[in-house]
Amino acid sequence: MILDTLGVGLLGTNTEVCQKVKQYSKIYSSDISSTIWGHLDFRLPPLYAAFVNGVAVHSMDFDDTWHPATHPSGAVLPAVMALSEAFPQKKKMSGLDLLLAFNVGIEVQGRLLRFSSEARNIPKRFHPPTVVGTMGSAAACAKLLALNQMECKNTLAIAASYAGAPLANAATQTKPLHIGNAAKHGLEAACLASQGLQGNNQILDMESGIGAFYTDYNPQILPTLQSYPWLLDQQDVAIKRFPAHLGTHWVADAASSVRRKLVENSDDLLLLDTIEKVIVKVPEVKYVNRPSPNSEHEARHSFQFVACSTLLDGRMSVQSFASENIHRPALQELLCKTQLEHPSDNKPSFESLYCEVTVVLRDGNTISDRCNTFYGHWRKPLTNGDLEKKFQSNASEVLPAEAIEGVIETVYNLEKVEDCSVLNMFLSGQSARLLPEKLHFEHSNS
Amino acid sequence: VARSAPEETVTSSFASFIHAVRPEHLSKIVRHRSKRMILDSIGVGLVGSTTHVFDIALKYCLELYSSVAVSNVYGKPGVKLSPTLAAFTNGVATHSMDFDDTWHPATHPSGAVLPALLAASQMLPPNSKPNGLDFLLAFNVGLEVQGRLMHFSTEAHNIPKRFHPPSVVGTMGSAAATAKLLSLSMTQCTHALGIAASLAGAPMANAATQAKPLHIGNATRLGFEAALLAARGMEANPFILDDISGCSGFSAFYSIYQPRSLSTPSEHHEFLLEKQDIAFKRFPAHLGMHWVVDAALSVRNLFVNYAGSFSPSLIRTIVLKIPVSKYINRPFPNSEHEARHSFQFNACTALLDGEVGLSSFTESSIHRQELRELLHKVVVEHPEDNVANFDKMYGEVAVLLKSGDVLTGKCDTFYGHWRKPLSRESLLKKFRSNASHVLPEEKVETIITMVDNLENLSDSSHLACSL
Repeated sequence: MILDTLGVGLLGTNTEVCQKVKQYSKIYSSDISSTIWGHLDFRLPPLYAAFVNGVAVHSMDFDDTWHPATHPSGAVLPAVMALSEAFPQKKKMSGLDLLLAFNVGIEVQGRLLRFSSEARNIPKRFHPPTVVGTMGSAAACAKLLALNQMECKNTLAIAASYAGAPLANAATQTKPLHIGNAAKHGLEAACLASQGLQGNNQILDMESGIGAFYTDYNPQILPTLQSYPWLLDQQDVAIKRFPAHLGTHWVADAASSVRRKLVENSDDLLLLDTIEKVIVKVPEVKYVNRPSPNSEHEARHSFQFVACSTLLDGRMSVQSFASENIHRPALQELLCKTQLEHPSDNKPSFESLYCEVTVVLRDGNTISDRCNTFYGHWRKPLTNGDLEKKFQSNASEVLPAEAIEGVIETVYNLEKVEDCSVLNMFLSGQSARLLPEKLHFEHSNS
Repeated sequence: VARSAPEETVTSSFASFIHAVRPEHLSKIVRHRSKRMILDSIGVGLVGSTTHVFDIALKYCLELYSSVAVSNVYGKPGVKLSPTLAAFTNGVATHSMDFDDTWHPATHPSGAVLPALLAASQMLPPNSKPNGLDFLLAFNVGLEVQGRLMHFSTEAHNIPKRFHPPSVVGTMGSAAATAKLLSLSMTQCTHALGIAASLAGAPMANAATQAKPLHIGNATRLGFEAALLAARGMEANPFILDDISGCSGFSAFYSIYQPRSLSTPSEHHEFLLEKQDIAFKRFPAHLGMHWVVDAALSVRNLFVNYAGSFSPSLIRTIVLKIPVSKYINRPFPNSEHEARHSFQFNACTALLDGEVGLSSFTESSIHRQELRELLHKVVVEHPEDNVANFDKMYGEVAVLLKSGDVLTGKCDTFYGHWRKPLSRESLLKKFRSNASHVLPEEKVETIITMVDNLENLSDSSHLACSL
């Protein structure tokens, strides 16, 4: 998850939304500063580094997704990494400290999501990263800051007052800010708590606390630490293969196998004239139902777009969402022939949804295929090789090869890294050859 | 699918209003009332700068940020912060003691708007400083947007249970006000609202804790940030205020939501402040406390007439008849924050001391023996006709004496409520008392004069500079 998140974040630094927040955040600068992924040329105060890197991670909707639904890593990793650089004199954070804090942040999110049955389905009201992500970031930062129990409670209480953004900004340029803000505000809550600020120490128990974001809310106390059952153990995340809403990944896999049945060779062009209509069977998810998306943000949240794009090209990629591809005539033509259907057995939950793509030809034939579990889903996880390939492809947009290798090696050996600031150094573009003294860990494989 | 211009949405009507409203649209009453609010808000902010929670917020901001420090902080003449952090800090100051104004439907409107405007006025370059009238207009835009949004839900009419209103509508009001002051285009105003919605909404549970003041601090700061992001071209959902089923926008914060378009201000726009005035608090506690305090004070008078002096030992029971509202029903508050949100505490303090003021909420006052003893004698009742609504509620205090006699007092409208507004003298007395905690007399009077003549001020950043 850490590796994938870093990769999507690096790639995301080039997006328009990220450019805007970088510009915006530059109005704040100070002596204490943290790394902006992909940049050697400037640094930002930890809060804004967390914000900017968080925006980068979610800028293309390329980051991981969990069940119950949220994007867990983007809310936590930028915050803990920014924080790890905030107190260089006081203490050195080890890779293990970072890894533990990260997992605290993930675990807290997962536990909170299980307090409401609403959370099991694709959201409608509040965007989950803004609710649980803020709390996860807060918890992770409190852990990294080694706050005492009372301070940890207050961290959570303060964070709750920052949580919660409505779903309507999904599929707009503002959505990435949801993750950026979750990371930043969680960090802020931990900082305020460490300065002694107090909130409601029953924030997770009360309906008027975190319960305010749900219509049904049943909190449970956590199990004891003795052989602690981490949620990530029982429930893996899904890693995306292309930058769009998770629901569209089922569509892509179904559409690509339909296309393989339609054309002899993968290089062949799809004969649009032969197609009468395209039917895409998906669950009912209003914010991903867009017959004719106009922007990259809308295209990433469109079942129809991904179906047509896959039928045309054979596969989805980062390039699929470039402006010229969104607006190409062939795609527009195919979109006009596309409709959605919502079978009643197709539930809007990432655990159980499926997609069926049917192409109806003018000659009356129909070609159909169904995807129950796409490649990258937790039931069919990416191989290590494919995960690394995704990271390399993403990171190579902004980092030199040595830094890329440095990140991969550091993350894989995170538990053994003495000083996790080496990770930040690679992320700013500095290469391994320049920092031999920083690489204090056992080489077990390379 | 983009909607064509003539087809108006609720969101676009708000953006239109923010963009197109002019100073001429402000009526006399609105100007008068809003200036009173500005003065009171500054005063409570100044006295609030002496609080512990303010200390934390300031220290936090200073440690993490130093550059672009152009905006003043209440009560700290040598200190400047970056604009949004100054707004944050001053917002925290304003709400730190729960001494700031309250409106109907319920929210604390001024604290969410004023700090952002003050900070923003100092941020703008010398040749484009807004004048006093621009400032007053932007302030009123911030109030109006808050009021209009609250009217979208019948839930908002009652004392809140789920989300703290300043964190919901306050953030939107701040975004609107700052967008106005910064002269954003209509499109940018739309996006400022959209971005702000994703920064809105804090749960009620932190009320009566030290974190509550952050709700106003963040409302004013984050609304300001939303406007700044919009100014740099950030885009959000242009239908954020409209009711789109299956994918909540601003409606996420309410279970019932019926938005209505704002009319573009033509000749006469009637601001909500014209029809519905604000309540100013006489002492730093939740608005609900003001009813029971006035009732308790009248009972205390009866008691003194009856027995010559107030003697707690003669009391068997104290009955409080109050509306149902969990977060202000606290039999034994332990902190200043809890005490400010306790019907029982405020009633007993009024009975014991004959008044409630700043010093009623110090550690020693909260924990004094005689007060704790009196608190033990309190029982609360929730008459059905006592609705948890600042327009309709009442407070009734009945003291049952051991002799069998009963002394009662009831307050329907406390002094300071919109139905019985503070006189100019009372408002100035409150301001002077607050401001003099941190500013010398000349400065205090300067601020009063400046706010009185706000429309004539050529450079509104002078107001911020004088803090």
